[in-house]
Amino acid sequence: MKIKNKGKWQESFYNIADNEKWLAYLILVPVVILIFFMAYFPAIQSFRFSLMYYNTRLPARAHFVGLNNYIKILKNPLFFEALKRTAYFVLIAVGTILCIALVFSLVLNENFKGRPILRALVMLAWAIPPVVNGFMWKWLLNGDFGFLNGILYQFGLISSYKPWLKDPFAALNWATLTFVWRFTPFVTILLLGALQSIPLELYDSAKVDGAGARSCLWYITLPLLRPMLTIALIIVMIFAFTVFDEIYTLTGLDPATKTLMMYDYELSFEKGRFGLGSALAYIIGIFMFLITYFYIKSIYKEVKH
Amino acid sequence: MIKGKRILLYLCIIIILGWSFIPLYWLILSSIIPQVDLYSIPPHWIPTRITLENFKSILITGKGFRGGIGTTATELIKKGLINSLIVAGTTTLIMAVTAPLVGYVFARLNFPGKNLFFFYIIGMIAVPSWPVLIGLFSEFSKLGLLDTLGGLIILSVAYRMPFDTWFMKGYLDSVPTELEDAARIDGCTLLGAMFKVILPLSLPGLMAVVIISFLFSWNMFMAPLILTYTLKSKPITVTISEFVGQYYAEWNLMSAGALVAIIPPILVALLFQKYIIKGIVGGAIK
Repeated sequence: MKIKNKGKWQESFYNIADNEKWLAYLILVPVVILIFFMAYFPAIQSFRFSLMYYNTRLPARAHFVGLNNYIKILKNPLFFEALKRTAYFVLIAVGTILCIALVFSLVLNENFKGRPILRALVMLAWAIPPVVNGFMWKWLLNGDFGFLNGILYQFGLISSYKPWLKDPFAALNWATLTFVWRFTPFVTILLLGALQSIPLELYDSAKVDGAGARSCLWYITLPLLRPMLTIALIIVMIFAFTVFDEIYTLTGLDPATKTLMMYDYELSFEKGRFGLGSALAYIIGIFMFLITYFYIKSIYKEVKH
Repeated sequence: MIKGKRILLYLCIIIILGWSFIPLYWLILSSIIPQVDLYSIPPHWIPTRITLENFKSILITGKGFRGGIGTTATELIKKGLINSLIVAGTTTLIMAVTAPLVGYVFARLNFPGKNLFFFYIIGMIAVPSWPVLIGLFSEFSKLGLLDTLGGLIILSVAYRMPFDTWFMKGYLDSVPTELEDAARIDGCTLLGAMFKVILPLSLPGLMAVVIISFLFSWNMFMAPLILTYTLKSKPITVTISEFVGQYYAEWNLMSAGALVAIIPPILVALLFQKYIIKGIVGGAIK
């Protein structure tokens, strides 16, 4: 009724502002275009590269080669070594992060003085730029003057300073720790949120029935935490699989820590092999897609519960 | 039993404190004590002499580039800081406006193709970074967006979109509809109800979006590493990684530089941790 008194352009504005369909499209179209040019289009473009011989240093020689790049990558033993490293990295990171974060969140869920301060401190690691985190650990583990050497020497556990990142397997483990340190707070907060949504009455009635702290943890807390643990597990997998920043500063392109991500960086941007790099990128993408698929599926399953 | 539990709890608290703070303490310590104290074996764990020389030489006096290209440390850090502030600040502003709108569309409106649009936006999470970055590099070079702040801003806005949409939708789903129904009956348009009723109610959720967007774009590294190549647009994360390369033996200088880069995100995290916790927890469940 009111609308009739307004001018014509105002009326049409009101029509859009009040029509669910047009309002939705008006808001969504720019977003759709933006995402197309920032994600889907470049992804298609790089798929095209993956079917070409394309070296950015010899752009004139670019030509179509079909699936050759994929075959080349899959036949290369370097790929399998990188895959093994990545799998190890993800496995260790997921296990360690979930265990540590579970303990941290259970502690932070208790009542004690200074809990807000501790919670704030725990969160700090998450806010640090990953690339700086990598540098920080490089310095902590430094062989000449680093923290780890200093503290072990101080307590008489080593008699001379050691280069911790020199052994390839050790370097991979340290790289994993670097990621674990940054990512634990995120999972801690996720789990803490889930813990705090468990109704206290459950524990009260369990206590009335004579349940101890341990059986409370085992029969109430952990089962109710399961949905969030699943979600956390998959989030950690995705992020662990794609770690780049930390390794870039910690060990650079050292073969010891060359995960699939580092290998792809080397191929595409250090060597300019866009064709091979894109093919490898798509192989990584298939892994990522599978993980994400399970993520979205599991979220939907949990939401239904 | 109760006492034993208490002791265990405090033991855990000490371990958590150590785990979270010792690495940072080492970084702070290295930047404020003289190099002699730091490089003694073992180092001085507790600062006896405090010096701000490292910060001064990074932020004010500067030192030449070891490689001889002529960029001083001061330039690297200062330019990087400014670029990061511009990119992260603009991204945050844009997300503050768009995230509630897009979230609102999915939480409240019904229109044909809703699920399709939603999966189009959320599906972006599943598009892995390397294929995109390789494609973006050639796209950006054709569009003249390589090595520009604008390019970085567009990119980080696009990459916040799925998460922020997801989160705002979830948050708005939890806001009861009675109030807006009442507003609608009083003659408010859909958009009017959104701005007058829903937006104020979802302010805590919006804060979470804004803060996490800021941290995301401040901490971004892989994309700028590839898409920028001069100080005109390199953010602090990239300049720090170069800085680390050129002062390879001067750990105290590098620590000071690293601290400068982590102070803004850490301040934001400390000041707004309440919202961040909401954002992380809400984003994952909803």
